Amino acid sequence: MPRFTTIAVFAATLALWWLASRLGWVSPFLLPGPGTVAETMGELAASGELLRHTLVSLKRVLLGYLFAIAFAVPLALAFVLSRPLRATFEPLLEFLRQIPPLALMPLLMLWLGIGETQKVGIIILSCFFPIFLGVRGGFDSVDRKLIDVGTVCGFSRPEIMLRIVLPSALPAIVVGLRIGLGYSWRALVGAELIASSAGLGYLIVDAENLARTDIVLAGILVIGVLGLLADHLLRFAIRRSAPWLSGDLEMARA
Amino acid sequence: MLELSGIGRRYRVGSGEVTALADIDLSFPTGSFTTLVGRSGCGKTTLLRILAGLERPSEGEIRRGGDGKLRTAVVFQEARLMPWLDVAGNVGFGLRGRVPRAEAAERCAATIELVGLSAFAGAMPAQLSGGMAQRVAIARALVQEPDLLLLDEPFAALDAFTRRTMQNELVSIWQRRRPTIVFVTHDVEEAVLLGERALEMQGGRIVGREAIALPYPRDPTDPEVNLHRRAILSRLMATPAPVPA
Ligand SMILES: Nc1ncnc2c1ncn2[C@@H]1O[C@H](COP(=O)(O)OP(=O)(O)O)[C@@H](O)[C@H]1O
Ligand SMILES: [Mg+2]
Repeated sequence: MPRFTTIAVFAATLALWWLASRLGWVSPFLLPGPGTVAETMGELAASGELLRHTLVSLKRVLLGYLFAIAFAVPLALAFVLSRPLRATFEPLLEFLRQIPPLALMPLLMLWLGIGETQKVGIIILSCFFPIFLGVRGGFDSVDRKLIDVGTVCGFSRPEIMLRIVLPSALPAIVVGLRIGLGYSWRALVGAELIASSAGLGYLIVDAENLARTDIVLAGILVIGVLGLLADHLLRFAIRRSAPWLSGDLEMARA
Repeated sequence: MLELSGIGRRYRVGSGEVTALADIDLSFPTGSFTTLVGRSGCGKTTLLRILAGLERPSEGEIRRGGDGKLRTAVVFQEARLMPWLDVAGNVGFGLRGRVPRAEAAERCAATIELVGLSAFAGAMPAQLSGGMAQRVAIARALVQEPDLLLLDEPFAALDAFTRRTMQNELVSIWQRRRPTIVFVTHDVEEAVLLGERALEMQGGRIVGREAIALPYPRDPTDPEVNLHRRAILSRLMATPAPVPA
């Protein structure tokens, strides 16, 4: 039933779009019909252009996301393990967290140019905090009462870590990872819109300059679909490896 | 034999101090069944946590007689199940890596059957009612075949029928395997139905002892049971509840 509803909603939106352009409610220049956009997408795909831009964008997201994980996870663990470290740097991090990554773009462009480093940099900045906060929050909120259960079973510290603390922390970590993935995708497109020579964001601005609304729409659709796919992939992986987390996952829509 | 001498426990609360336990001298003979009864806040949980080794006393000494380690299992006031494990996983939680896999599976299945949850072996904790969850927690303790079994108001969340069944089951397990049992309750009737002796607690101290030499299973409507109940209640009610400091 929900699956049917989903399809119906998408189909209705498509139909409305088709009607709007067919009956001339809006000028075909501002909003080309679905047919035109599909045709354009076909051409872009056939020429290999779509794939090239998509791969460029995907590579940046993947790289930035992995780097962010590599920074955020150890730092969060250090914060969990060391109270002094946390007390010292918490205020600074709180301050940095308030700054939207896109506001740092100008600075990043001056420091890193407009190449790959800058794009990856902006992605790292935008998904660092969700991942960092997820990991830290996950370990912080482990229920001491569950640890007692391990203690009376005679567990060693590593056993308690592995069999109680880690599984307890996992839901929050997963939420952080999922939010981070969404943020990184959005930040990337933003960065590509501002300054780049390849990628899906670039495809869109470039088309805008040429007044090709059909290409703009095709690019937007691809971005949406890819974001959705990435999210589903992550959810699928989590559902397979940790089925009890399904409930917590729904909190992570951001 | 498990012995406590001069045990006290104080907690810092804000700028002051709360005395949760004071001057506890007790011995628990191996294989005995002791109930610990008193109103809430009198220190029962704290005493149990000290027996379990989860908490250090502020003063006093614990002696665990006999040779080697006392295998201890605890049933807490709340079920404390691991939400990521199903019922069977939770029951076997303390066995994994300690008992051969096949033996663990067999013992788990038998214990799950004992607490009447065979149909729910694959269920997740979120799908269980409070009483069912508590039965899983009880199974998790029993499956370890402990030498010392500590229970903190384990049946408080159960309905009256299930509670009666579980009380009888606990007694028959005790009669078969003879672990040392310390059973905390705020229900005087339960204390009399289960224990060979009941210890009365008030304000962090042991204020009375009642030896109960009735045969098991005991009937709540038995006049003898009633006599013991009345004796305990009259003593607990005679001493006024401690004024909070
Ligand atoms: N961790 C703690 N910190 C501060 N006070 C505590 C703590 N644990 C217990 N207490 C206090 O010790 C007293 C006894 O508590 P407890 O042993 O839980 O009683 P009971 O289990 O009989 O209800 C209470 O006054 C309680 O507030
Ligand atoms: Mg208590």
